[in-house]
Amino acid sequence: MRIARNTAATLFCVVWLFPVYWMVTTAFKPYGDILSATPRFLPFPFTLDNFVDAVTKSGFLRDLGNSVLITTTVVVTAIAVAFLAATALTRFRFPGRRGFLIGVLVVQMVPVPALVIPLFLSLKSVHLLDTFLGLGLTYVALVLPFTIWTLRGFLQGIPVELEEAAMVDGASRGTVIRRILLPLVLPGIIATSVFAFITAWNDFLFAYVIMKDQSGYTLPVWLVSFSTSTGTDYGGLIAASTLFALPVVVFFALVQRRLVEGMTAGAVKG
Amino acid sequence: MSTLQTSPPAAAATVAGAEPPPRRRRHLLLPYGLLAPAAAVLALVLGYPLVRLVLISLQDYGLRSLFTGAVGWAGLANYLTVLQSPDLGPVLVRSIGFCAALVIGTLVIGLGVALLMGGLGRRMRVAVMFALIAAWAIPNVASTLVWQWLFQPVYGVVNWLLTRVGVFGDLTQRDWTTSAFSAFALVWLLVVWQSVPFVALTLHAGLTQIPRSYYEAAAIDGAGPVRAFTTITLPFLRPILGLVTILSVIWDFTVFNQIWILTQGGPGGQTTTLGIWTFTTAFSKNSFGQGGAIAVVSVVLLVAMTAVYVRRLVRSGEAL
Repeated sequence: MRIARNTAATLFCVVWLFPVYWMVTTAFKPYGDILSATPRFLPFPFTLDNFVDAVTKSGFLRDLGNSVLITTTVVVTAIAVAFLAATALTRFRFPGRRGFLIGVLVVQMVPVPALVIPLFLSLKSVHLLDTFLGLGLTYVALVLPFTIWTLRGFLQGIPVELEEAAMVDGASRGTVIRRILLPLVLPGIIATSVFAFITAWNDFLFAYVIMKDQSGYTLPVWLVSFSTSTGTDYGGLIAASTLFALPVVVFFALVQRRLVEGMTAGAVKG
Repeated sequence: MSTLQTSPPAAAATVAGAEPPPRRRRHLLLPYGLLAPAAAVLALVLGYPLVRLVLISLQDYGLRSLFTGAVGWAGLANYLTVLQSPDLGPVLVRSIGFCAALVIGTLVIGLGVALLMGGLGRRMRVAVMFALIAAWAIPNVASTLVWQWLFQPVYGVVNWLLTRVGVFGDLTQRDWTTSAFSAFALVWLLVVWQSVPFVALTLHAGLTQIPRSYYEAAAIDGAGPVRAFTTITLPFLRPILGLVTILSVIWDFTVFNQIWILTQGGPGGQTTTLGIWTFTTAFSKNSFGQGGAIAVVSVVLLVAMTAVYVRRLVRSGEAL
């Protein structure tokens, strides 16, 4: 029984890890070993040529810059906006609070691809197509429901008495938020930042539709256009994909547990 | 960062001498002020487009409107065109069938892996978790391109392996995107590979919540593993299983990138699902009105499929 289980688990690991293994090893293989009728399963001899090739390809560094710029801006903006909203939702009782929460839950259910057409046309009519502002706003909106919901959960866990004590001492609400809430909620901010980062960094569809001019491409769009324009340069393509995936994998490993909790929190607790 | 580490009493001291603010008024308006940026972005970028989507689907919005801004009302003409289109039937069957195949595949494998993880030793379990997280973490554009390479007709390693197995004959020249069935199989493998981790990890987390004593009691009463599964595991897991199913339906019904990058809806439109159809109608044929109508139909279908869940969500929201 135990042997059967371990065999099944080993088989699963091999099958599930194989694509990742193949991606990483392909990236390090010399040209001749990539395009060979008999695949080589070990990346020896080993080369960095593919990475050099990818990085020096036209547009890669520019689009990497675009991706970094837009992703960081989105993360900072979304977290700030979500933190303010979550503070309002957990520290005040006011008419419309419950309605807003339900709105956030329902908006999260909207199938994102259905929004592409109206967003494209709306951004066009306010001249925000092909601008980082247009794409950035879209990403902020996409990540807000999750970030608000998650930060709200974290803030609920912090006792209000802490803030009340400070207010008795004469601190203003602004000071309380900055000096007491913010530091205590830092782990939540890190978790939601990673989520926002991954959403903005990985997005293909919106960048593809909104950024028509090459100078505004982000990395996923660059990757896809590279794959269709030079169908056979798999070394460069896979090396570039590996570079693109790397930061996500690192961040993911850090907060994987919280992501699982966050994605299920809204529904399971209800 | 330095402000974060300042102790609260020090902060309080700096404002202690200031005049107390007009608290009542600020108290009333402050929460709205804090909420305003989030509400504005959500309303403008998610709420308004949803309304606009419905409006566009009732308009004659084509290439000319895109440049002149002049838009005429079309009434239900877009819906009639879509509903009478010979493509509609096949697209619906494909979308729903493919979604069902993805959901079933993901849930069966995901549940299997979750159950398997419970019976493994520590080291083996960590290995399985590692494999799951690795597959989950790769951005889907990257994994789609890796898929293209794995299944590449001449140099792809999958065709080579299948040929070596020998059951299917020489497959080294096989292009998976040339027939509808193999193209769907290609996308199915990719999406299932990416979706199993979330399902397996969530279900595994749920399984660890079931008290061991229940199984011990069942064993003493003479229940076999199957009986224990149906009377203990399944009832305990039901809420999480329901949630995971609904989320899978939503995600699998709206799969876009993987199909678009691998097949563009081909060959001959045979892998065109509702999402692809919406996209090509709007952005390739510049018929935004019709594309909007297809998108509205997809949203309605999705809402119908997940109605039970949405109702529960709203109810849980009311209890907040």
